[in-house]
Amino acid sequence: MTYKIGLLIDEKRYEAIKGTPLASNLRSMFGGEIRILEVEVDDDLAKRILQEFPAARVDSRGFIEDLPVAFRRALFEAVAATKNAGREALEKVLQRMDEIKAAAAKEKEYVPPPA
Amino acid sequence: MPAPLEPHGGRLVYNVVEDRDRAAAMTAGLTKLEIEPTVGPDGAPIRNPYREIMSIAYGFFSPVEGFMTRNEVESILKERRLLSGWLFPFPLVFDIDEDKLKALGLKEGDKALLTLKGKPFAVLDIEEIWKLPDRKEFADAVFGTPEKNKEVVKRRFDEKHPGWLIYRSLKPVALAGRITVVNPPRFKEPYARFWMPPRESREYVARRGWRVVVAHQTRNVPHMGHEMLMKRAMFVAGGERPGDAVLVNAIIGAKRPGDYVDEAILEGHEALNKFGYFHKDRHLVTMTLWDMRYGNPLESILHGIIRQNMGATHHMFGRDHAATGEYYDPYATQILWTRGLPSYGINGPPHEIDKGLKIRPVNMGEFAYCPKCGEYTYLGISYGDVKEAPLCGHEPEKISGSFLRGLIIEGLRPPKVVMRPEVYDVIVKWWKVYGYPFVTDRYLKIKEGELEVEL
Repeated sequence: MTYKIGLLIDEKRYEAIKGTPLASNLRSMFGGEIRILEVEVDDDLAKRILQEFPAARVDSRGFIEDLPVAFRRALFEAVAATKNAGREALEKVLQRMDEIKAAAAKEKEYVPPPA
Repeated sequence: MPAPLEPHGGRLVYNVVEDRDRAAAMTAGLTKLEIEPTVGPDGAPIRNPYREIMSIAYGFFSPVEGFMTRNEVESILKERRLLSGWLFPFPLVFDIDEDKLKALGLKEGDKALLTLKGKPFAVLDIEEIWKLPDRKEFADAVFGTPEKNKEVVKRRFDEKHPGWLIYRSLKPVALAGRITVVNPPRFKEPYARFWMPPRESREYVARRGWRVVVAHQTRNVPHMGHEMLMKRAMFVAGGERPGDAVLVNAIIGAKRPGDYVDEAILEGHEALNKFGYFHKDRHLVTMTLWDMRYGNPLESILHGIIRQNMGATHHMFGRDHAATGEYYDPYATQILWTRGLPSYGINGPPHEIDKGLKIRPVNMGEFAYCPKCGEYTYLGISYGDVKEAPLCGHEPEKISGSFLRGLIIEGLRPPKVVMRPEVYDVIVKWWKVYGYPFVTDRYLKIKEGELEVEL
């Protein structure tokens, strides 16, 4: 089974992928108010991600949600660097798992509020 | 029949002594017993009986007047009825350790002075002291099992279910009897302005001349899907201006990491009328103290009782009402209110059976935003082989709660079609206070230390 992780694309993130095939794959939601880049996750990787982050869950749409912000940021960086929204980017992220989990542990208690 | 309806059981309980001299006379010489939270396997508080005491004494659970005897609990587990015959869904148990009971020397017929954070709070008239059965079996009996309750229970309850865990974690002995609050607490802000016990809310409803009052259950900051449900429920209930309103009642109690904080839930709903999304004369935000059991259809009975006692005529029930995880059929509550649940001993809809409720259900499916139509569309309810389907011919987008939480924690303002900006501002306000937009372990510790009240 294939799952998905939806990465929200704001203006800053859009700048990082502008001109690449990724930019043309963005899905628009809520009448164009939100743009999402869908990262496909196969069964094995989904199991690993859910194991690493016990709070994460698959929602009714088949998306893996409730992931730490640190994971999502690292995933976007990997997607932008590899120009790949699939396994290649995810594997790159999994190599940084210790660092991401350390950041995620801190983020369980504090995430700076928006200005 | 116009609001407010007769209280459940025919009489509104108000076991609160406000006269200080009378309270002093009642409590003189009584043995003190400190109220302790129920804790889960990791030591985190998952329930505080003080909240049940408040809800019982102020009449939210009328006609219940105290903690239950063994016979009453057995009656509830058999057919969800009190010994008086009135429908009631959950056992209410005041639990205690055997050693503690022995040390205090309390016995049947005694009165105990229950203290909260060391201060006098309520008197418990001990009618019966009884031993709880195996708590795991007890918790199964409270919520149901896939074998016994196959019409709605889809998988076995376990430690991940907060309500099951509460009953699983009770201490072995129960003290049953009438409860009287003898030192009415003061609510802290922002709770104080939302505390409107049934006696007051019924007066408020009557004074306003409201006829149709649709109750909305919440433990969430409202997004647009919730708002659509509340507004459409008024049409279904037959509400007409000006004598009708939505009664929002937030359940305030033990939270789980990842939930919205209580303060944001209350003020988020308040923002809807403060900024005109609901007319201020047709919308009331209130709260009830209760550590949610997440019992879906069973919890819906309790919600019906609470809101009938508060003065509502109708109760809106949406998909996955008072649910967590995938233990129950997502439409278990609708099944209960249209057919009953015979495996729980409830042989008809709660509002159509003898000594049932008078409040009427408004069963609702989901709404989703259709970007093509530029508006919300109704998806309906799925049952049997019939699946939810949009009224329009496009592909609407459901608002996933976890998607919305992901959006918020990444620091992005949700679009207006998802959440009112003023509601988001409330989330950010409390984010700045607690350093996080949702409940954390730190928040849980702060809340257990402070509670919602001061004595």
